[in-house]
Amino acid sequence: MTPVLEAKQVRKKFGGVVALADASMTLEKGEVCGLVGANGSGKTTFARIISGLIKPDGGELYINGSKVDLQLGFEAEQFSIALVHQNLSLVPEMTIWENINLGREDTGRLGFVQIDKAVNKAHEALKELAPHLSVYERVKNLSPSQKQLVEVAKALSKHPQILILDEPTASLSFDQVKRLFEIINKLKKQGTSIIFISHRLPEVTEICDRLVVFRDGCSVGVIEREKINQEEVVFLITGKRGEEIGKVKAKPESGETKADTVLEMEDVSLGDSKEGINLQLKRGEIVGLGGLQGQGQGKILLILGGLLSPTTGNIKIEGKSVVIRHPRDAIREGMFLVPGDREREGLFLPHTVFFNLIYPQFSQRETKFFLPWKELESEANRIIDMVALVPPDKNMIVSNLSGGNQQKVVIGKWLAMSPRILLLNDPTKGVDVETRANFYQIVQDLAQKGASVLFYSTDTDELVANCDRVLILFEGKITQEICGEELCKERLLEASLRGGDIAEN
Amino acid sequence: MLKINRYFKEIYSSTAFPGIIIFLMLIAINAVIQPGFFTYYSFKLNLLSFTPLILVSIAQALVMLVGALDLSIGASISLLTVFMASVMGDSPLSIALALILALGAALAMSLFNGFFISYLKLPPFLVTYASSAIWFGIALYIMPTPGGYIPKPFYKFYRSDFLGIIPIPVLILIGVGVIYFILSRLKVYKHMYAVGGKEEAAWASGIKIHATRIKAFLWSGVFIALAAICLVSQTATGDARCGLSYTLDSVAAAVIGGVSFSGGKGSLAGAAVGGVILGLLINILYFANVTSFYQTFMKGIIVIGALVVGSVTRMKEQTIS
Repeated sequence: MTPVLEAKQVRKKFGGVVALADASMTLEKGEVCGLVGANGSGKTTFARIISGLIKPDGGELYINGSKVDLQLGFEAEQFSIALVHQNLSLVPEMTIWENINLGREDTGRLGFVQIDKAVNKAHEALKELAPHLSVYERVKNLSPSQKQLVEVAKALSKHPQILILDEPTASLSFDQVKRLFEIINKLKKQGTSIIFISHRLPEVTEICDRLVVFRDGCSVGVIEREKINQEEVVFLITGKRGEEIGKVKAKPESGETKADTVLEMEDVSLGDSKEGINLQLKRGEIVGLGGLQGQGQGKILLILGGLLSPTTGNIKIEGKSVVIRHPRDAIREGMFLVPGDREREGLFLPHTVFFNLIYPQFSQRETKFFLPWKELESEANRIIDMVALVPPDKNMIVSNLSGGNQQKVVIGKWLAMSPRILLLNDPTKGVDVETRANFYQIVQDLAQKGASVLFYSTDTDELVANCDRVLILFEGKITQEICGEELCKERLLEASLRGGDIAEN
Repeated sequence: MLKINRYFKEIYSSTAFPGIIIFLMLIAINAVIQPGFFTYYSFKLNLLSFTPLILVSIAQALVMLVGALDLSIGASISLLTVFMASVMGDSPLSIALALILALGAALAMSLFNGFFISYLKLPPFLVTYASSAIWFGIALYIMPTPGGYIPKPFYKFYRSDFLGIIPIPVLILIGVGVIYFILSRLKVYKHMYAVGGKEEAAWASGIKIHATRIKAFLWSGVFIALAAICLVSQTATGDARCGLSYTLDSVAAAVIGGVSFSGGKGSLAGAAVGGVILGLLINILYFANVTSFYQTFMKGIIVIGALVVGSVTRMKEQTIS
């Protein structure tokens, strides 16, 4: 049988940077093929090329056995290929139905858009994914996970022959992922071929029939279903073997006391719940914030970071009450936020690594007139070493770095200022396995040196691997605390899902 | 009840809300200050001067929807009146020729602006500011002082009534309504919102970004031509300076009507209402015997005020989310 899709030696350069060097893959009818690889290994570029959004520099593409002329910029619609975008392709000001039909509105004889038809189409597509969502809602009013579901619905509404999902689960909750997988399995039975791109290895191993591994712009290996095991996948992704990646938490030595409380929140209201948040963070402790998505975890961090003003309550640092109205206040207290959206909130993308690493110091350093450039440069080099930046070049423009390395720069800028409290807002979203391990090491080292960390993550494995204890949130309240022996994935998931029951009792 | 509440909430949270309130207030003030505001005579008089303003507001709104701005609107209207006053004679053929020329020239000017802004990605402010100098220069070259010839039947027509009761501007506005109805149901209209709202998303949805921007400019050109035809009927002369005030007026009206500077937000209907609001404001200044210098001054204040109101509502929205 001819494969539905066959790509051979696809190449692509952006400016001088090679995004794809030699990428090949085949896709059979009714198959789910996983595409895995580190950040910047070219998965997204590859997905965009086979869905006709960008033209490659070279290579061949066969769809249903016939060759496609890539140089002309082919219309993917015509071959019925739909891509679910990683960076959302939704227009916030427009309604769900408008977005789902965007770019391929059905028109009647007079050229008018057929609104009824469009609305029905949207209904149809959204029915299984998010039945409670009204298609008349504007996208700007949706939560990140709802947006992601609409994005999937948009692709499904095309009834594609080939469906490409680029990190569809990055912002979805456990339940939503399950529902998405049911739909994928159904589509598969109907004969749709699916390319599934993800960083979450457990998901990939669960849903995929076959894996294609990308490394540095090349497809380096294919793993059949029977042979999929995480160790092998990690080896292919990183090109390294024998390292335990992801498990970094040194279990606390018995007798070690973490006595002094560094941060205390007393009845701090998050706005949507009557009860406030009470939490304590001790020196050198890593406390996870868990639970389903969007239960107020982010808000806690934003309040502490000075980006949101709390309505009521009291924040104490080392026993003293502090008022945090502005990020400046938080920084003065040595409390630093590593934001979730690094591109928007954490970095000056068009500037160099050096500048990004040192700019927080401009406001803090006491200088006469001139900044001590030499000193700052050597400091930047020291940080680059510390975070193991790839490439270790302080003159790199940050936008040219891969996502994981960008995140290292974000955390690096605070390292120079010896943080007392570090607030991590889902810091490894879309970061590859190797860089993650690296990142965890940095966080652990900091904790060892006495910094305290509040760690919000949507990835349960990450919380288990890093945290001393995890607080489960539900609708703006802390419903449970999990620590010690109990701290495992299953327990965290259960607590997250049962958050509602506990909150009601 | 709930439904009504929701309906009110919809109105309240819409960007046009400040406009609606101001609109009602202005009607009240006008009724007090302008003698016989509710009579047929002054209704028609207001209509004659409001119509071009409404048309340019829509023209401005169209380019603002795709995230651009047209600072050459005033100069292009002036140039069009100059063209028409130069070409028109007494024969119906010359009138038809002048009208076709006006539409063609308006489309050409819009295409010029649109090309540089969409394909070459030049900043709209600078491109249209520079092109306004070009249009103005051409207009002055052709007609250094106001003049030309507009035949009496032509400008009389604009002031006449259809069936003896319905003023022609009303018919024009109904025509505009029909154009709006058609436009708002075309694909390109949705695409304009997408391009202005989030260009990257529009691209990823397979929309042709450049073509959509150019189309927005071309539609804007249609409304500019209509505005110029109305204006030349109103003044019965070609004048290189007669349209200049429309640049600021159109921006003010669009902003008052809830059209966002960042693009993708607001509606043409809102801009039209904004045009009426601005017209009523100018009326107040006129009937309160404010000198024309002071009128210009006030318009500047109004634009800033409208922008402030817009940003306040936007901030309100952000704190909610």
